[in-house]
Amino acid sequence: MSGICPEWEKIDPSEYKGIWVYMQVERDGIHEASLQMLSIARMLAEKKKTHVAGVLIGYNVKKYAKEPIYHGADEVYVVDDKRLEQYYAKVYAHVLVELAKRYKPEAILVGATMKGREFAPYVANSLRTGITADCTSFDVDPNTGDIVQIRPPFGAWMLAHIKTPNRRPVMSTARPNVFNVPPRDEKRKGKVIIEKIDELPDPGIKLIKRIPIERKEEIPIEKAEILVSGGKGLGSKEGFKILEELAKEIGGTISGSRKAVDAGWIPHEKQVGQTGKTVKPSIYFAIGISGAAQHIFGIREAKRVVCINIDPDAPIFENADYGIIGDYKKVVPALVEVIRKLRKRAT
Amino acid sequence: MGLDIIVGIKWVPNTTSVNIDEKTGTLIRTGVPSIINPHDMDALELALKMKDRYGGTVTVITMAPPHAKMGLEHAIGMGADKAILISDKVFAGADTLATSYTLAKTIEKIGRYDLIVMGQETIDSSTAHIGAQLASWLNIPYVYYVIEAEYLRSSHKLKVKRLMEDAYEIYEVNLPALISAAMHSQHPRRVSLKNKLRTKLENPIEWWSNGVLKLNPNCIGLKGSPTIVKKIEFMPKVERKREICPEKDPVKAAEWLVRKLMDEGLLKL
Ligand SMILES: Cc1cc2nc3c(=O)[nH]c(=O)nc-3n(C[C@H](O)[C@H](O)[C@H](O)COP(=O)(O)OP(=O)(O)OC[C@H]3O[C@@H](n4cnc5c(N)ncnc54)[C@H](O)[C@@H]3O)c2cc1C
Ligand SMILES: Cc1cc2nc3c(=O)[nH]c(=O)nc-3n(C[C@H](O)[C@H](O)[C@H](O)COP(=O)(O)OP(=O)(O)OC[C@H]3O[C@@H](n4cnc5c(N)ncnc54)[C@H](O)[C@@H]3O)c2cc1C
Repeated sequence: MSGICPEWEKIDPSEYKGIWVYMQVERDGIHEASLQMLSIARMLAEKKKTHVAGVLIGYNVKKYAKEPIYHGADEVYVVDDKRLEQYYAKVYAHVLVELAKRYKPEAILVGATMKGREFAPYVANSLRTGITADCTSFDVDPNTGDIVQIRPPFGAWMLAHIKTPNRRPVMSTARPNVFNVPPRDEKRKGKVIIEKIDELPDPGIKLIKRIPIERKEEIPIEKAEILVSGGKGLGSKEGFKILEELAKEIGGTISGSRKAVDAGWIPHEKQVGQTGKTVKPSIYFAIGISGAAQHIFGIREAKRVVCINIDPDAPIFENADYGIIGDYKKVVPALVEVIRKLRKRAT
Repeated sequence: MGLDIIVGIKWVPNTTSVNIDEKTGTLIRTGVPSIINPHDMDALELALKMKDRYGGTVTVITMAPPHAKMGLEHAIGMGADKAILISDKVFAGADTLATSYTLAKTIEKIGRYDLIVMGQETIDSSTAHIGAQLASWLNIPYVYYVIEAEYLRSSHKLKVKRLMEDAYEIYEVNLPALISAAMHSQHPRRVSLKNKLRTKLENPIEWWSNGVLKLNPNCIGLKGSPTIVKKIEFMPKVERKREICPEKDPVKAAEWLVRKLMDEGLLKL
């Protein structure tokens, strides 16, 4: 049987132009993950010779309208409405869908924060278009002009190149901190377009209470210059105390493997790897970590990888620049001692 | 009257036992066993707990190849009342839009339900799309990342708690609705022998092919999928120096490492 699914509206892809980025607004302004997507949007727009637009949805958000422009957008669409004071995925999705129907963008990029992951697939589904999750790079097919979305499913062994050739807009998400925020330039100029949406759907849910949690003001691991990472080989939560000594001595931040997270020794936001975070330190210490492919995936961009492992056959040695075979309980304190001694001598 | 709950599970290759063929650089998937997506065990446990507390039924659905029946037997063994295996060659190759469409039509055919519970995401393609898409097809309220759920019988609503990056949030949710259970939020129960016996005695697993669902072939499988996987390439290996410290003594080894890092200007005193 030929033709398309009757649930899908017929569209003409050639009518769709421009790369949009959804701007998630939090209490303190636009979420960095959204601004980071502007670097991809700019790259795609240069290649496709089109423009970049930011989309701001919420209440009292107009004041942020210039921010996406300073970071690379040419236009910003703003829907500022008292009824949008509280974020509800279904309602915000409706607003973005309406805008997309009015202006027909070729692509919509969304930062894969927890809210982004909840909201973006609803938008895509309402538009009956494709969405590609957690992309780590993008390209434009030189022959067809199609946007190529590249993502690493299946335990990080492979990279899938995904296209949405016949439906528009093309939608994609990327995890926070995979891309950099384009530099801010207050001299950049752009157009701010104010939009109104008459009818909003009932979200069917109501926020009763929000209980903020104190997170220690720590450097997020994606941004750390030095990471001291521990795995199952530490044997216990106390093992991380030994690692903290080293971290303190060299200005490092603690992170770990999934097994360390599953054991409850460190929180999930400190997990490195395919289902954790991609990190880019100048030195990555892998201590008591075997070096599973899913873990190694997260440290591809580390400048140097150091490992300390008791088992000379652990795969981590194949994936490290400098390896020490030995018990971390002996090697790590020795490292702290050596650094302290050198420091004393230097002063 | 209790709650009629539908749980979606995915049958996935156990990616921990997938290996790479060093010579050809391809995945060795032969002999790799499949399992219920581990994060869907959280969804199933959350649903079963609600059934224990408030009464009602739990129906498990999966769109998968026929051998996923094993997964459904496991779910019955844990205490689900019945299960539906949505399986047909025409469903193969579906992206998340087509998958969620097929699941939505299955749920419409089931008819009555109060709540749909999904996992947070899968361990193989991990998009976390299906929940939101399903809620969109069915036009029902939805909430992701739920860690606790309570039924408010008098108002026929759900009260759920979820954990976001910086806060706990508590919502009241109109039913019917869809929630996704946060990964690692529950302690999935074991299979009980008594429940397991039901799989043999009562035939609680139904098989729905497209002969049953009668969906338009343009809306399902590859044809119903706007995304196309164009190419799969193997991740190039990052080449590392692989220098192994020749020293056995911990202090000497530490000195060796510190010198290496200082020579490169990476470690400063
Ligand atoms: C879909 C999927 C996604 C995944 N995502 C991630 C992810 O994001 N991040 C991640 O890390 N993992 C991930 N994993 C899990 C991954 O496959 C491994 O199971 C995990 O990385 C192993 O953690 P580990 O190295 O800490 O533990 P193990 O593999 O148990 O290794 C412990 C190591 O410690 C060493 N050791 C023991 N005692 C000592 C000692 N006294 N001193 C020094 N060394 C010692 C041992 O020799 C061993 O090499 C994922 C798996 C799957 C299937
Ligand atoms: C290499 C590769 C990359 C892919 N990338 C994409 C992509 O970026 N975008 C895209 O649209 N498709 C993609 N797909 C297709 C996608 O894997 C399938 O559509 C899959 O059936 C559902 O996606 P998921 O595993 O990510 O589920 P998720 O959305 O992560 O699943 C969330 C929850 O939905 C439920 N669920 C999921 N699948 C089923 C099922 N079959 N039956 C019942 N309940 C279920 C479970 O409760 C699960 O926990 C890709 C496929 C491959 C092979």
